Amino acid sequence: MSMSEKTSHRPEPIIPPKAAPLRTLVMAMAVMCYLAVLAAGGLVLINRSVEAWTGDLEREITVQVREVAGRNMEEDLAKAAAILQATPGILKVTVLDEKAAIELLEPWIGGIDGLEDLPVPRLIAVEIDPDHPPDFAALDTQLRNEVPGVSLDTHKRWQAELTRMARVLTTLAYAILVLIGICAVAIVIFATRAALEANREVVEVLHLVGARDSFIARQVWGRFLKTGLTAGIIGLILGILTFFLAAGAAPESFAAISREFLSLTSAKLLQNYLVLLAVPLVATLICLITSRVTLMRILKSLR
Amino acid sequence: MVRLENVGLRYGHGPEVLRDISFVLAPGEFRFLTGPSGAGKTSLLRLLFLSLAPTRGFMSVFGQDTTQIGRSDLPLLRRRIGIVFQEFRLLDHLTTYENVALPLRVAGLAEEKYRADVMELLKWVGLAEQARVMPQVLSGGEKQRAAIARAVIAKPQLLLADEPTGNVDPALAKRLLRLFLELNRLGTTVLIATHDTQLIAQARMPVMTLEQGELRLAA
Repeated sequence: MSMSEKTSHRPEPIIPPKAAPLRTLVMAMAVMCYLAVLAAGGLVLINRSVEAWTGDLEREITVQVREVAGRNMEEDLAKAAAILQATPGILKVTVLDEKAAIELLEPWIGGIDGLEDLPVPRLIAVEIDPDHPPDFAALDTQLRNEVPGVSLDTHKRWQAELTRMARVLTTLAYAILVLIGICAVAIVIFATRAALEANREVVEVLHLVGARDSFIARQVWGRFLKTGLTAGIIGLILGILTFFLAAGAAPESFAAISREFLSLTSAKLLQNYLVLLAVPLVATLICLITSRVTLMRILKSLR
Repeated sequence: MVRLENVGLRYGHGPEVLRDISFVLAPGEFRFLTGPSGAGKTSLLRLLFLSLAPTRGFMSVFGQDTTQIGRSDLPLLRRRIGIVFQEFRLLDHLTTYENVALPLRVAGLAEEKYRADVMELLKWVGLAEQARVMPQVLSGGEKQRAAIARAVIAKPQLLLADEPTGNVDPALAKRLLRLFLELNRLGTTVLIATHDTQLIAQARMPVMTLEQGELRLAA
């Protein structure tokens, strides 16, 4: 075979491919991506959980009727139930009987004989239309005017607590994602410097034969692309595996949400996995942009 | 092509390694630069190759004042200059063929366009058989020839060579001189730094002598 035929194959990469700093970069970036997947997935799960829990709370309110001296409890309950039933936006009214009221107290004070003789407050469970809720202030006033000893619990306090907790956790997750991003940028800067240092002689010779900085940067572009994608995909797979494991071990209510989050038949399938897929994409972008900026800055400092 | 007026060069705060250097290298000229080791020949070549800037005096290359040349202008200017380093500076992970073709590849040429030219030049410098081997297995003389081939492959307007025949036998030195003369005949301005008096005698071209950082022109 003649030489010209032999050399017609694709030319060797100008910068040698065996750059050890990039292997370390894949490892470090994979860890960063794994943490980012956990944080991003956690963010979605927190929001879904709080949405589900506050949704349940929003659909129900409780009316409590305390015993007032000189008044008939059953009549007051019936009166309150009638007011509730007549209020628009209320779907279902269930008056809990005395036995049910005592059963609710049992976990707190234990099974005590003769509890029936004590003035135990009675409860009315009210299911409301979350899309068209009643005017709670007006309803409260009306109930208080007609039935003394009545109180309306809209669960607003619990909802506010949950929402606040969710907001704190969400902010924390975003902060973690930002920190992971900063850390990833720093890692890429170090790796780029190390890779360039390892190939200093090559870069100098390239400059001497008239290579532009952008030409040199293009020679390693593909390698940083591969590094970012590989690290991102490793982190993504490990992250999803962790969610599956966590879904198996978590308390039932949370596990159900985790399963739904990971389920391939979920209505939010695309949205859920897009959040996770964003991690390798962002990792690749960080790799490409940071390495390019670092490379150009170092090359500019050489003559 | 090249003009130097009272040029001085010092590294950091050290003494001047080049002092009051003045000469003009007209387009198409062929000159030798000689002088004892440590006289500043390599420093002068590095100045002309724009990898060093003079610390005083005026210097222009291709008619451009070097103080006005920005970093972004360097790649295009360097593509017009071929340089042969004393230490060859071949890339160890590329074959001889790829090392020689590097300036063309860097200039963005497709391989089909330069393959035949590179092979022809390799044949001329006697490296056709070594085209596919890595520089590690080349002898000193072969490396030198590969470095020369890389410097001339893009037919530069200015060729600077630092001891280009230092590692080859007289017969091959004569052959390489013919290559330089041929390039010069085709329009390339050539400046060769050498100790090789035989080479200088064969070429019968003007000689500049550097001694202790100062330049002397001789016929």
